Amino acid sequence: MLGYILRRLVSVAFTFIAVSLIIFLMMHAVPGGPFDANDMPVSEAVRAKLMAQLGLDQPLYVQYLKYMWGVLHFDFGVPYQSPGESVLQLLSRAWVPSLVLGGLGVLIGAPLGILLGMAAALNRNSWIDYLASAVATIGLTIPVFVTSMLLILVFAVWLKWLPASGWPNPERWILPIIAYAAIPVATYARYTRSAMLDTMSRPFVTVLRAKGLSERRIVFQHVLRNSAIPLVTVFLPMFIGTATGSIFVEAMFRVPGLGAYFVSSIETRDYPLEMALMLMITFMYCIAYLLSDIVYALINPRIRVGGAE
Amino acid sequence: MALVEIADLKVSFRQYGGTIDAVRGISFSVNEGESLGIVGESGSGKSVSCSALLRLLPATAEVSATKLELDGIDVRKARKEDLARLRGRSAAMIFQDPMTAFDPVFTIGHQIAETIQSHRNVSRRDALKEAEDLLLRVEIKNASDVLNYFPHQLSGGMLQRAMIAMALSCRPKVLIADEPTTALDVTIQAQILQLIKKVQAEFGMALIMITHDLGVIAETVDRVLVMYRGEVMEQGPVQQIFDAPQHAYTKELLASLHASFEPSRGSDNKTPALELKGLAKAYRIRRRRGLFTDYSDFHAVREVNIALPKNRIVAIVGESGSGKTTTGMMAMRLTDVSRGQILVDGQDISALSPEALKPWRKKMQVVFQDSYSALDPMMTLTQTIAEPLHIHGIGSAREQEETALDWLERVGLDRTYANRYPHELSGGQRQRVAIARALVLEPDVLVADEPTSALDVTVKAQIIGLLKKLQAEMGLSILFISHDLSTVKSLTDSVVVMYRGRVVEEAPTERIFSDPQHPYTRALLDAVPATNPKNKRERTFLTAEQIAAQTPRLTTLQAGIAPHSDPQLVAIAPDHRVEAYVTN
Repeated sequence: MLGYILRRLVSVAFTFIAVSLIIFLMMHAVPGGPFDANDMPVSEAVRAKLMAQLGLDQPLYVQYLKYMWGVLHFDFGVPYQSPGESVLQLLSRAWVPSLVLGGLGVLIGAPLGILLGMAAALNRNSWIDYLASAVATIGLTIPVFVTSMLLILVFAVWLKWLPASGWPNPERWILPIIAYAAIPVATYARYTRSAMLDTMSRPFVTVLRAKGLSERRIVFQHVLRNSAIPLVTVFLPMFIGTATGSIFVEAMFRVPGLGAYFVSSIETRDYPLEMALMLMITFMYCIAYLLSDIVYALINPRIRVGGAE
Repeated sequence: MALVEIADLKVSFRQYGGTIDAVRGISFSVNEGESLGIVGESGSGKSVSCSALLRLLPATAEVSATKLELDGIDVRKARKEDLARLRGRSAAMIFQDPMTAFDPVFTIGHQIAETIQSHRNVSRRDALKEAEDLLLRVEIKNASDVLNYFPHQLSGGMLQRAMIAMALSCRPKVLIADEPTTALDVTIQAQILQLIKKVQAEFGMALIMITHDLGVIAETVDRVLVMYRGEVMEQGPVQQIFDAPQHAYTKELLASLHASFEPSRGSDNKTPALELKGLAKAYRIRRRRGLFTDYSDFHAVREVNIALPKNRIVAIVGESGSGKTTTGMMAMRLTDVSRGQILVDGQDISALSPEALKPWRKKMQVVFQDSYSALDPMMTLTQTIAEPLHIHGIGSAREQEETALDWLERVGLDRTYANRYPHELSGGQRQRVAIARALVLEPDVLVADEPTSALDVTVKAQIIGLLKKLQAEMGLSILFISHDLSTVKSLTDSVVVMYRGRVVEEAPTERIFSDPQHPYTRALLDAVPATNPKNKRERTFLTAEQIAAQTPRLTTLQAGIAPHSDPQLVAIAPDHRVEAYVTN
């Protein structure tokens, strides 16, 4: 197992280098730059000075190596759009709201989805099964900005139960968390339902019944445990996808989160921030998949305990 | 008092577009300690009847009966507590495929102990102790280790033993065995059947043996029920069924046990149609050690020499893992060859490039075991059969279709089947289509990899008959791969026995049956179930060590070759070779 983790970490490093190169090249391949004339009416001399100051006059490979050298020392540079702080400071400030809202969305949504999927699988073709299908379809097909708008309309405008937007006080979190939870609920309801139905149709479940086990024990001990194996692998990647913020949810609920920076960094050609965000996402996905695979091996004896006699 | 009483049992399944009557009014009873066999082909309702007895049918099943009683309890009215008693304590079941019958994420010990604890109030520790005793009683020697094994760590035979131990754990009054050996090798099948009989006697249980195989019936039961399409055709003492069958279906079943053999004509041309020379396959096994990787070789096939003469049928027989299928697939160039030559009509094709191989592909074709996955579900039968002609560009589209239609008839299917899809056919009919597709190119060589293993006995006999007929008509040379010696008896001219990747014996079929020399061949023959209850007998089973120890020993004078530390294939009579140790 240790050897496996080591090998995977080596491959994470290679992925990291490959992704950073691709992003860096694509970033610079797009025509234009951070100080284009129509955005920033400065004289040619000032522009040249700025470029030299930021090192943008150097050859690309030098810029790349310099930036990566900085990354190795946890120095991601200074964002052009907010020169008063480092990229790292900006990220740690903006990430908190995204992590809290998105993270809670998944942490609340996933168990709800699992419960809904279980109820659907155990009562196949009943009203609850149809409800679960409806929730799953709606959650996956209606765009999150529409859900957000509906939530605001119903709970803030009509019912006046909750504030429509904002960040610091927790009652303002409720609506965005619900908006974030839609996708985990839907995904998990679908996955859980099909995983459980699949498990329940396997011959060993008939054997369990034939040996006189109670239906409760069959479901909670055997079916759930087997169905959980595909489910755990979905969790971490989904967590990361949601907990890095959504530009739509954050815009709808006016949350000062990370989401907006994904767009603005590209729009304003904010190279250091753009690189930092992409590298962060890449790194987190790599680690998430690694952890998922480890958990998968831990709960699946066919992988944990090797080969046949 | 009867333990099981069933009167006028009817089961139907609701499906899209109507209902299917699976069981149409059957009645039977089983007394304490009695053994009843239920024989019939797939779809005859034999399993469904017994599942109804334990209420194991899905919700789409509709069950009605004038009487459905197990151990004095009316199954139809059984409440939750009654069901818990019925299942496991009154009756226990063993299923067909032991590989899928255990929950993969729990250990064997856990699953047996859990059964004990759900029926009796005992501690975990005592339950595990009991589980270990049970494993010992089903002749699992390393019982304490096996308790901690997960299902995937055991072989099919071992799992079936563990399954029997689990069934015994609550001392059931009747043991229902639903095709308990169909998924197993012949030698393992014989061991499991003997074990079931032994524990039945020891625990004083009644037995219901559900099977499609009359040999299994002859070996295990006192009384037989013959089922066909949801109805009981006849029932009676086992000897009477075998000696004086009343019903046409029973007669047909019995006839399939005693097919006659006619040798194929052979050819004056002595160049073999297919010759494998020193053909070997080694798989590279990767073993990870930290950041590094070790490689070792697994020898699936070790340098076999097999010749298939023109216009003859040769069988390769062996258990799973013997390398028989790998050999067949290498001969077809469907698996890469590690070493050796494949001579087709005297020419080596083992190293040809895919393009250079294409004309040879026309001369050699293959039929697989699982006809369902071997046919493209999206293609009609005509398209399927015509496809090889299309690939090799033979004839116009019109002619290709005509040929395909002719072949449908030739393999015994009606021309009106032309536009049907594989899922609309039965297993036997699909195998006929697969044979038509293989033979439409009029090849010289056909490799048939267990083409009848997934089929019911009567259908199996028909497919064997069809292969024989077509072989004679076309002068085909067939390499017939099988795990079962009794299947090849009526079909093949000679038999090659493979064991652990080696050829251990090779002789004309008649000689293999009358004068087997290698201990493994004898073990295979001994495992073949009796064809009449009169001939059933106790068997002794050889371990791998015993087989090695009993390998014939010849002097250099007898063998005519130099001594060697490894066993060598030695000719002991014309056309009869056996693996033996050669010493001074």
